[in-house]
Amino acid sequence: MVDSPRPHERPTAFDRMLTPVHRWIWSDTDRRVQKLLRFGETETDGGRDILRAAEVTSDPLLRRLYLEHAIDEFRHGILFRHRAAELLRASQTASNTGFQGDWLAPGGHGLDDLQLDGESDKTMLAFLHLSEKAAASRFSVYRDVMQHDPPTRAIFEEILHDETFHMNYTLTQLARVEPQQHKRHLWRARLSRLWKAYLRLATGLAAILGSILLTIQYFVLLPPFAWMAKRVANREHPGWTTGSPTRSDSLNRQY
Amino acid sequence: MNILGISAHYHDSAAALVVDGVPVCAVQEERLSRHKGDAAFPLLAIEWCLQQAGIEPEALDAVVFYERPMLKFDRVLTCALRAFPQSWRAFPKAMKNLLGEKVWMRGIISSHLGVSARKVLFTEHHQSHAAAAFLTAPTRRAAIMTADAVGEWATLSVGDGERGSNGTTKIRRFREIRFPHSLGMLYSTFTAYLGFKVNEDEYKVMGLAAYGQPTMVEQVRKLIRRTPDGAFALDLNYFEFHTTAERSYSPRFVELFGPPRNPYEPIDLDTAEGQRFADCAASVQRVLEDTLVELAQALHRETGLADLCLGGGVALNGVANARLLTESGFERIFVPPAPGDAGCAIGAALYCDRIHFGNPDRDVPDHPFWGPSVDGSELARLAREDGHFAEEFQDGALIDQIADDLAAGRIVGWMEGALEFGPRALGHRSILAAPRTTEMRDRLNREIKYREPFRPFAPVVPIEAAGRYFDIPPGGTRLGRFMSGVFPVRPERRSQLQAITHVDGTARVQLLDTAMAPRLHALLEAYGRRTGIPVLLNTSFNLAGEPIVNRAVEGYSTFLRSKIDVLVADGTRVTKRTSATGSTEPERMREEVA
Repeated sequence: MVDSPRPHERPTAFDRMLTPVHRWIWSDTDRRVQKLLRFGETETDGGRDILRAAEVTSDPLLRRLYLEHAIDEFRHGILFRHRAAELLRASQTASNTGFQGDWLAPGGHGLDDLQLDGESDKTMLAFLHLSEKAAASRFSVYRDVMQHDPPTRAIFEEILHDETFHMNYTLTQLARVEPQQHKRHLWRARLSRLWKAYLRLATGLAAILGSILLTIQYFVLLPPFAWMAKRVANREHPGWTTGSPTRSDSLNRQY
Repeated sequence: MNILGISAHYHDSAAALVVDGVPVCAVQEERLSRHKGDAAFPLLAIEWCLQQAGIEPEALDAVVFYERPMLKFDRVLTCALRAFPQSWRAFPKAMKNLLGEKVWMRGIISSHLGVSARKVLFTEHHQSHAAAAFLTAPTRRAAIMTADAVGEWATLSVGDGERGSNGTTKIRRFREIRFPHSLGMLYSTFTAYLGFKVNEDEYKVMGLAAYGQPTMVEQVRKLIRRTPDGAFALDLNYFEFHTTAERSYSPRFVELFGPPRNPYEPIDLDTAEGQRFADCAASVQRVLEDTLVELAQALHRETGLADLCLGGGVALNGVANARLLTESGFERIFVPPAPGDAGCAIGAALYCDRIHFGNPDRDVPDHPFWGPSVDGSELARLAREDGHFAEEFQDGALIDQIADDLAAGRIVGWMEGALEFGPRALGHRSILAAPRTTEMRDRLNREIKYREPFRPFAPVVPIEAAGRYFDIPPGGTRLGRFMSGVFPVRPERRSQLQAITHVDGTARVQLLDTAMAPRLHALLEAYGRRTGIPVLLNTSFNLAGEPIVNRAVEGYSTFLRSKIDVLVADGTRVTKRTSATGSTEPERMREEVA
């Protein structure tokens, strides 16, 4: 039976719409293991970023809160990794590198490539608040589709509890450090997240296009050169190579 | 003359500045960006170096990149062509990777620093390693051997170096072994097979090897055969690193050695499977050592020199270095504190100064402390803001207090002076503890470093007392200077040094010279007066997956997140406040916020 969600645990309409997809993604044990491992890495990376925020802020209260937040993220990483290891042991399968649906079911939260050393506390808090909120929305869906796996569900439940604290403190602190304009910062952070999402999408598409073009070139243009390279390789003897007398030691050259 | 050396884009990027022939500062990017093994273009490191020396980019006479990007591109493209059509998956990735940024280094450096492109120069990767090893070593003439996974084409090179009486410097390369035949790649392949991270966790293979027997040496020798000219060649049927980026070993490798280790499963040495992995590690370690020793013996016969300078990532293998010292015929072996790619930043800059510009040779200070300095007053401020106990001491009183702490079994985070350059904590960013009991080792592994129980901890001892506790062979003091050799703990001392004695009775000991780190030396002596043993456990000041701490604030956050008892930065000593309710630090913070 699914408990009635608390307000902060309500998934967004978009996440709710994707519930069947999430159910499918999480139904397979191998996929679940891979996703949990990936989540573990994301949480740990997020923890390091927040730890860095704790180290660069000049606000003592924020430093302590960030530090606790970072400790939570590291713990979440461990929880995910341990659960993945348990599932691996139980399933006795090799790791699966097939479709993981990562872009449909992303992990906790990164900080959108935020340059932590150059950001102000208010920007950081706004980003963190939105990241935590988004993560809470997704994790509440993951928890709900995990009825067949109570231990994993319990992990999401525990993490959701922490996310609540993170969401709340980031908002409270944002209002403290920027009482007049905290809403404006939230909007700015939302727009920035959107822009970065677009950049990620555009970069991803460009990478796919680039791979396709390079693969076509590989099969169309390279075969004669490959034939020549193999012929040369066959004439080479392994062992010591002495420098060619014509080789230039000039430091001006890149080759 | 101001020369900036840069290494980047493979792993562990770094910058180093040489002014009038002497290094003045060097730092790895990871120590500033706080991303372990940061391979990005080292902008932060460059900025810090220039700021530290107080010079503007336009005052640089040259900026030297540590390898030749187009030669590397040549290697990657040639290997892709040779592996056609198996390389079809790797080809797009490799091209995007190289063409995206890496081959355009001249333009990138020029635009980042605003210096003329003519000032941007390039050394070869193994030239940089050779220069880092020879030009920083206090020797006039030495044979040079460099070995790593791969540079442009070379994976291992041998040569010699000479400082002439007229101030001229020569570094000659006799010959090299080329990719894909690589000792570093052989070791890294086993690193991956054993479930560790390539280019990062090779030292874990070395640590694991002590738990195993080299029962699979014959199998490993099938992978690497000696060639008639005294070099070696890998049997590429067992490898895939030259055709794909996905996996470094082939199905035939798995047929030979059995299924690889799942990286997420801990190694249980009490099981047959765990022992098989340890035996694998012991076997590849043995073959690596044998090969290096034979190559070095041949180089010694050829050059007749007493000294050998070792460079490249393979020189981080302290067990192999110790065998080289005793079996190669060389009397002294010099390994720089950063023999890996980061150290190439210093090597490239020195090579450019001595060889390219022909500047006269200068003595290079013989220490690893080239990074940013720690500020004790910053630590005091942070601790007081958070309600922890911070005391500021005069030097002698601090040493006495910390020696008392250590003698009472407390674990100390120790920060002083300038940050080390290279992967080892050599006494300026260290976690120190009493070396007596296995309980201390287990506590450190479990509560502070959060790492595998099979990994050993290193000791530090004053050089003059080393012989009482360790079997240091002739010439071993040099290897021990930067923790580059693994030597036996004297049998009668092992029960007193349980925390730092590895399962095979050895330790990767640092032999500390007073001049190199006087405060740590004084601490060792003070600890020795209290306990009778002037030896401390010395491990790098970082937690698992994080770079070594740099500033006081990073040491402080590490201190708060772990069970380190005492934190020291220069003259400031901090201890955690104790809670009346016994609640943990996170619980206390939640309560405070609530």
